[in-house]
Amino acid sequence: MTDTINKIDTAFLFIFGVSFAIMILITLVAIYFLYKYHHTKHPEAAQIEGNLIAELTWTIIPSIIVIAMFWFGWTGYKALRDAPADSMLVDVTARMWSWKFTYPNGKTSSELYVPANTPVKLNMTSVDVIHSFYVPAYRVKMDTVPGMQTYVWFDTGEPETYEILCAEYCGVRHSFMLSKVIVLPQEEYDAWISTEEKPVEQPEAITILENNGCLDCHSIDGTELVGPTLKDIYNRETVIVTADGEKTVKADEAYLIKAINDPSSEIVKNYEDMMPPFAEDLSKEDLGKLIEFFKTGMPAEKPGEKGAVIAENEGCTGCHSTDGSELVGPSFKNMMDRDVIAIKDGKKIQLKADSRYIISSIVSPGEYIVDGYDESMPPYDYLEDEQIMALIEYFNTLKD
Amino acid sequence: MQNQTSSPIPSFFEDSGSDRKGILSWILSTDHKRIGLMYLYMVLGMFIIGVCLGLAIRLELFTPGKTIMEAQTYNAVFTLHGVIMIFIVVIPSIPAAFGNIILPIHLGAEDVAFPRLNLFSWWLYMIGTGLALLSLFTGNGPPDTGWTFYVPFSEFTTTNVNTAVFAVFILGFSSILTGLNFITTIHRLRAPGLKWKQLSLFSWSLYATAWIQVLATPILGITVLLILAERVLGVGLFDPNKGGDPILYQHLFWIYSHPAVYIMVLPAMGVVSEIIPVFARKPIFGYKAIAVSSIMIAFAGSLVWAHHMFTSGMSDTAVLIFSLLTFIVAIPSAIKVFNWIATLYKGSIFIEPPLLYALGFIFLFSIGGLTGLVLGSAGTDIHVHDTYFVVSHFHYVIFGGTGFGLFGAMHFWFPKIYGRMYNKNVATTAWAILMIGFNLLYFPLFIIGLQGMPRRYYDYLPEYTLGHQISTVGSWILAVGLIIMFVNLYNGMKSGKKVGRNPWGGATLEWYTPSPPPLLNFDKEPDTFKGPYSFKGVERDE
Repeated sequence: MTDTINKIDTAFLFIFGVSFAIMILITLVAIYFLYKYHHTKHPEAAQIEGNLIAELTWTIIPSIIVIAMFWFGWTGYKALRDAPADSMLVDVTARMWSWKFTYPNGKTSSELYVPANTPVKLNMTSVDVIHSFYVPAYRVKMDTVPGMQTYVWFDTGEPETYEILCAEYCGVRHSFMLSKVIVLPQEEYDAWISTEEKPVEQPEAITILENNGCLDCHSIDGTELVGPTLKDIYNRETVIVTADGEKTVKADEAYLIKAINDPSSEIVKNYEDMMPPFAEDLSKEDLGKLIEFFKTGMPAEKPGEKGAVIAENEGCTGCHSTDGSELVGPSFKNMMDRDVIAIKDGKKIQLKADSRYIISSIVSPGEYIVDGYDESMPPYDYLEDEQIMALIEYFNTLKD
Repeated sequence: MQNQTSSPIPSFFEDSGSDRKGILSWILSTDHKRIGLMYLYMVLGMFIIGVCLGLAIRLELFTPGKTIMEAQTYNAVFTLHGVIMIFIVVIPSIPAAFGNIILPIHLGAEDVAFPRLNLFSWWLYMIGTGLALLSLFTGNGPPDTGWTFYVPFSEFTTTNVNTAVFAVFILGFSSILTGLNFITTIHRLRAPGLKWKQLSLFSWSLYATAWIQVLATPILGITVLLILAERVLGVGLFDPNKGGDPILYQHLFWIYSHPAVYIMVLPAMGVVSEIIPVFARKPIFGYKAIAVSSIMIAFAGSLVWAHHMFTSGMSDTAVLIFSLLTFIVAIPSAIKVFNWIATLYKGSIFIEPPLLYALGFIFLFSIGGLTGLVLGSAGTDIHVHDTYFVVSHFHYVIFGGTGFGLFGAMHFWFPKIYGRMYNKNVATTAWAILMIGFNLLYFPLFIIGLQGMPRRYYDYLPEYTLGHQISTVGSWILAVGLIIMFVNLYNGMKSGKKVGRNPWGGATLEWYTPSPPPLLNFDKEPDTFKGPYSFKGVERDE
């Protein structure tokens, strides 16, 4: 148990102990009086109007007791507020109805990962209404206020998982605004924080491509860079320009090997002849792995996986289900390309939820409100185009 | 309700003071007793609605996840439970109902200082209540903000908050005008010979309450109007996106709403201060200390509002000051409790239903008060703030305190108002069931609150299930107790045994007048020189 928790719990014990004693005392005395001075036993009441000494006693003693209680409470409170200067810093953004944690290296998560036995200071704010960050195990609670920075700090203690709850009422999903503090041993935390958001096992071929600088010019996800993308390159119909003129070939194994070892001999139409030959730099073995990768391993990630992480971290799934069940907003399941009745400027209109509509609904949700739902979604205009495209791709995967 | 009495002068039930007949002779009456009774019936009717909403909350929480309603419905239900119970039931309960009926008689007066204004207050109360009920059925669904209407959420939500806050605004005016009326009445209409030092402690508590009503309620009025301005005009006082400050709202709200807790509980303390000496047959112990402590509570209680905001993000200096002031306000409450217990010392005690309710008040209010110390202490408050610990604390103070005070007042002044007595054995049984149900309902909530169960949660983690289930069972027992209590009082009103002027042997002025009292309260000049707690020569007249 850390020092802060100790101080708070001491205050609890002191106040409860004294209160319990007072409660027992007045209850027993009252019952005794009711028995002893019942009119059947004590028919004539003594006409006592007061007693100065008694009055002074039960004014002064409670005064001393409450000042002591105040002092214990204040000491505990000070400990909660004095964050050590070397605390690890994490930014917290609260929103309806989820938490976003941003670590010093820019990594984000929806659950709070912290190393064991470390003071952690959370700098917090909210993007919509007031929420309150509450971890009962650490005795900390602090409102997150839009337009304002607040903080809490705590010593993480031994590896363990604790509940995070929202303690300030924030609307229909208030009681579902839960998360966890995951305290990891230092090494595990270090490993966690240094991995990318999606910890995928990277195929060896990608490492080879990276090491040889291939990916500076060729993408593996379909984007156009300087050279043709490597996505789905195997057996692709390709128009090439040779000394003899243009011709269409299939990018089979022999072609790819030649294109790597001696790129200048056949240039894909519309690209510059600028790729250096790799005949000497690339071992036979690596070349084989690359060809194998082109044949089978593409693409490196499942479609929509990136979007799913964004939807989780941005709190979308706090209001929109992915399985068709009704939460606060429409479900993502089969959302794309469905027909919706939306309300714009008070009028009902029917439209198709194509990607343009969905993008506008993410960036400025107030424009069209789907009939039967509340206008309560905040605008997500800070998302990068790339993130929005990833979301759209993810939504497309949720169609049956 | 037309009770016959042996008194030659007709009672206020028979003589409305005007030619109007039937319902008009009530809703247009300026008689403080009729107005007080109309408040009482409205308060009890709305209390039953509030209780039903509370039972629905408890039933929903019987199991994690959905039990009987959806999350949005649940949020509306707890909001309405709060708004109805706070603004329509508890705030007007003792002061507007029993204050109206009893205060002028305690002063030896014929009515309040401004009888027409008094009727106007009642009408405002009725309009406010009507609007609050209207907000349920109009607009885009009942409000779902909680009774605190915290911004920016209350600006954000599309539910019918506008009507609800306007209802609160109007109810506030009703409260302000009643307070004004009582202050003037106490200052100007005391009978000759009735000095401040002979004022009943119930009158003292109403006097302290009235000052809070007059001084603090306007701030609530302004605050809820500002919410309307935010919602309708988008002024941007509280919305940070428009340069506003949501913390400012919390300050304004609690500057009223903390003192409002004392508006709720002080009159109940006054009732207890009346009941205990009568059933101990001896003067109240430390009259001056109790009277002064009422004023102290009203004054110091107005300076502690920000203890609701230790986690809001306000400065540590503010936390220090408000924590310290909060502990200071605990002292006058403690003084009252010790004086009440000391009043029993060497008395000649009659254990009857009003005394049992008063003792129930002391027990439950003490638990509520002592757990309040946990909330006043800054370090411990952080952990239990906005958890079920607060919910439980609040209900111990307001339901265990004001609620039992109200029930005590009902049982104490019942024979005076109706000239009949209820069945005392049934009343005692109902009290016992209420005490068991109450503690079963609220005590487990302290425990799950300490374990970290936040309030206003539709769903909860499985580890809190047991506490919630015990609590829900307690709510059923409590409901049974309430039914027995109300049926017993109703039967007593219809066909109870007739009583004389002074069935309990009380010494305050209402016990010198017939039961029920005549239109102008007294059939002969009351003896105002004796003092309210001087029982020499006072005989029971059952």
